Amino acid sequence: MIYHVRHRTILRYAAPVRLARFNLRLKPAPWPGQWTSDYELLVDPAPTIVESRPGGWPVQVARLVIESPIRQLSIESRFRAGVQGGAITPQLDDPTIGAVARAALTDRTMGPPSHYLYAGARTPMLAQIGDWTRAALDPDRPIVAAALDLALRIQADFAYRTGVTDADTPVADAFAARHGVCQDFAHVMVIALRLAGLPAAYVSGYLRTLPPPGMPRLVGADAMHAWVMLWCGPTRGWIGFDPTNGCIAGDGHLFVAMGRDYADVAPMDGLFVGGAGQSLSVMVDVAPQEEPAFSAPA
Amino acid sequence: MDTDIRSGWADAYLAAAPQGDLFADASPDMAAHWRTMLDRLSSQAKGDPATLADHVARQAADLGLAFRLTGDEQERAWPLGPLPLLIGAAEWRHIETGLVQRADLLERIVSDIYSTQSLVRDGKLPASVVTGSPHYWRVMTGTAPPRGHFLHFYAADIGRGPGGEWRVLADRVRTPVGVGYALENRLAFSRATGDLLGAMNTRRLAPFFSDLRRGLAADCARSDPRIGLLTPGRFNQSYAEQAHLARYLGLMLVEGDDLIVSEGRLFVRTIQGLKRVDGLWRWMDSRFLDPLAFDGQSRIGVADLYDACARGGLMVSNWPGAGVIESRALAAFLPQLARAVLGADLILPNIATWWCGQPRERDHVRARLDALVLGSAFDQPVAGLPETPFLPGASLQGDSRAALLAALDQRPMDYVGQEMVKLSTTPAVIDGRLTPLPFTLRIFVARDGSGQWRVMPGAFARLAAHGDIRAALMGRGDMSADMCVIDARPVPADSLLGGGAPAIRRIGGMLPAKAADNLFWLGRYIERAEMTLRLIRAIAGGSIEADLGPSLASPTMGRLVGLLAAWGAVPAGAGSAQAAVGPLCAVALGDAQQPGSVRALMATVANIGEGLRDRLASDVWRLVRMPLPGFDGAVTETLLDASSRMIDRISALSGLAAENMGRGDGWRFHDMGRRLERAIHGCRLIALFAGDQASDDDLTVLLDLMDSQISYRTRYLTGPALAPVRDLLALEPVNPRALAWQAQRLADHVAALPTLRADGLPEEPRRIAGALAAQLAPLTGDMLTMADIAAAETRLLALSDAIGQRYFLQLRKTQSADILA
Repeated sequence: MIYHVRHRTILRYAAPVRLARFNLRLKPAPWPGQWTSDYELLVDPAPTIVESRPGGWPVQVARLVIESPIRQLSIESRFRAGVQGGAITPQLDDPTIGAVARAALTDRTMGPPSHYLYAGARTPMLAQIGDWTRAALDPDRPIVAAALDLALRIQADFAYRTGVTDADTPVADAFAARHGVCQDFAHVMVIALRLAGLPAAYVSGYLRTLPPPGMPRLVGADAMHAWVMLWCGPTRGWIGFDPTNGCIAGDGHLFVAMGRDYADVAPMDGLFVGGAGQSLSVMVDVAPQEEPAFSAPA
Repeated sequence: MDTDIRSGWADAYLAAAPQGDLFADASPDMAAHWRTMLDRLSSQAKGDPATLADHVARQAADLGLAFRLTGDEQERAWPLGPLPLLIGAAEWRHIETGLVQRADLLERIVSDIYSTQSLVRDGKLPASVVTGSPHYWRVMTGTAPPRGHFLHFYAADIGRGPGGEWRVLADRVRTPVGVGYALENRLAFSRATGDLLGAMNTRRLAPFFSDLRRGLAADCARSDPRIGLLTPGRFNQSYAEQAHLARYLGLMLVEGDDLIVSEGRLFVRTIQGLKRVDGLWRWMDSRFLDPLAFDGQSRIGVADLYDACARGGLMVSNWPGAGVIESRALAAFLPQLARAVLGADLILPNIATWWCGQPRERDHVRARLDALVLGSAFDQPVAGLPETPFLPGASLQGDSRAALLAALDQRPMDYVGQEMVKLSTTPAVIDGRLTPLPFTLRIFVARDGSGQWRVMPGAFARLAAHGDIRAALMGRGDMSADMCVIDARPVPADSLLGGGAPAIRRIGGMLPAKAADNLFWLGRYIERAEMTLRLIRAIAGGSIEADLGPSLASPTMGRLVGLLAAWGAVPAGAGSAQAAVGPLCAVALGDAQQPGSVRALMATVANIGEGLRDRLASDVWRLVRMPLPGFDGAVTETLLDASSRMIDRISALSGLAAENMGRGDGWRFHDMGRRLERAIHGCRLIALFAGDQASDDDLTVLLDLMDSQISYRTRYLTGPALAPVRDLLALEPVNPRALAWQAQRLADHVAALPTLRADGLPEEPRRIAGALAAQLAPLTGDMLTMADIAAAETRLLALSDAIGQRYFLQLRKTQSADILA
């Protein structure tokens, strides 16, 4: 599938802010089975933009520096991306959870999966989440089927509600209330998987805005989305699970960045001096381009 | 003293000392040193160990030694035990060699982790032992510290078993907490015991610190580098230690706010603008260093410090991310890494450690659970050990054991098993008796100017009140002690100033903007407290005029009480009836709830002073922290006495500032604070008590409040009259309480401060101060109007703003922008 993506954010401040330094994590990092082209970042007022060195995680960071006082900032990120098709389904010969956990500990690279075994800043190892999922993640179960069940269970047991949580809500609160948005669900699932000894990552990305004919519109398509990447052993590799929609991520899921949790991949964070009363409007459009299959540009 | 009592200490102790005790186990020549020391101390203390303990504790208090436990609001007195531990040169040589080898090994491991990662690739070190550490920072991969030194200092906690063997309990590279305390323990002990240390041939600590200083400087880009000690701030547990070390080593004590990164270079904000910083000795975890690269929640770091590191040319000690080698999990691999990397066995063994992330080790730990201590592999909260980071396996029974075993199956990589540590003891004084206590030593290792490792010949000794002592620097009820390395021959004298003498210089170095800010406000609050005290004294009847005080004509009294309320020393609308004078003054003196009470003002002074620890003499510190004298609101005399004693203290502070502070820019800011506050108060008092309708009572009180009674009487034989009083208090250029005098000092100060302008034009503070002095200079008391006073006050307020704008940090609260888009 090939998509045209437009993501516009407008920030307004009640009082001028100075010396703003923002990290933007909006440009898709390289990921197997996906390509990106024609990337554009439009910022008004014009900032100094520094493209950071590739950081630790599969994340592309752009640094904006705006020295002069501003009351409004508009950021638009545009690109074309292709996602390889082909639905992933649980297989009879999938490795078990126990086997994957053992394999993760003996991996000899400093890359994944070892980075995703431990708690992150926003994903503490909450015992209550382990108690809730322990039976579902029995070491003898095949990993893909078990993880899909977990995603479905989160989708069923949690109420999707915008506005009840924000980017700073601790995952323990969202878990206790069994409600939240994609970020909260992805955090709960990541913690549950790690508590079972599995390498699980938090992914930020986009969903196709309008579904293919005859398919339901996915929840979370009007903003940036978040889901979970689980390392399923050396053979199956990374597989995406979307607990908000209770499914395995397919060619409607467009990968942007991956880290231990939201803190590593936040679309935008930073520092400024002064100001207060920030308000925000976001517009996301992910439109499929009617083109034959998978054709990466040369 | 008679010999009975002397030999009493040593012999009584030895009779009851457990096996392996440091003294009881000592070689004959070391045992002789122990006896000499105990005899000398016993004779000094007239045979009573409690006296000795008091004596040493008093020295520690005089040095301002203090600390906090996590969660403490106030600092605690430092629990320094009066008996140092003695270790002979031969035994020390073994420890020293072992720690230098270990420092080398750790340096090579960190450097490999952040560069080629060959140890992981070759299977020598599991990746998940590295990534499990919360102190591992992926973004540091590929960055290169100056001269390749990831580590400049290293501290090891070591313990001595009952058989006399030394083992390393923990490695520390994040912050060298304890090194300053070790130095101060030595200082306190040597002050308390005269020439005892020298007589025992105790090796000196000073050369280690000069080596450390040179080691930091050697990796900086410039030859006479500017190095900052980066502190998390005054609420940090070891802030007092950091301030002391900064002063001792001649480093700038800086907080994140003081620093700024511009175009990849680090600068400190000073009153002379931004100045390059060549190196940082950081006393905060990597996670807090840069909110844009590490933890976005950090409010104490420096934005883009990471970029300054990555770009090169900045020395940071230890390099961010170095903490990865501290974990218990990694310690399990050190014996085999020593063989792989150094081709040798560890000279000082670890306590044996098994990381459960490997199936065989996990099975071993499960099988020997009762004989081992279970620990969190990365010092993080883990499900199987809900209360503490480590527990003896034998103490886990029933449900908690089942929970641990289940957790161990779920996430084995979160756990280590460690052998039980049995520690030998050393003499300590408990309840006035010599008592054996188990101990550990924290020993410090640092690079010298040529990059070689040097070991501090001493230690921070921690004596455990109870239980395992592997957690924090100090636990509740623990004591610290000095440790002395004893040479066979006398040691040559050396001090920090000895050795390669530095170039002579006469200026006190750069004044950071925040220090200027603090010094200025320190002056303002001290002056404000003094003014409030004079007001209280006037109300309570402290005037030298016999008929003043509570019997004042009521309009004057009303104005005085109104002032107390206006300054926030008593609640607004507090009554002025004669009966209420005592309680009212008691509130103004001692009610911490009133922001303008003397107690609240002195607390603010102490608070600001805390941020200036590295710049204030200990005498200043002692005066500021003295508790308020006692008083009884019902007895006027006690109120008068307490106010007078407080005024004496403030006079002592003024005296210290006048006689002891170097006339650098720091002193100017402090003095400007005093002058500005005094002048603003002067304006208000003159407007209130020397208006056109002023009564005799008003003028008398005013002379008293502005401490000019004597001056007035020496000039005029009559009672107070309006024009002469106005002239003396507003305009007389030689009266140090007069407005004009403050104005002239302020003008002198701002004229002497550095300017940022290249065109020679005056900066704003200088323009305002000049205008103020010029406004008052030509006037005399008979011409002065209240409009002149109002204009002067307006100028003073504008001057205060202008000084703040020009010299102090203009960064108000930095906001984070965390946006869920």
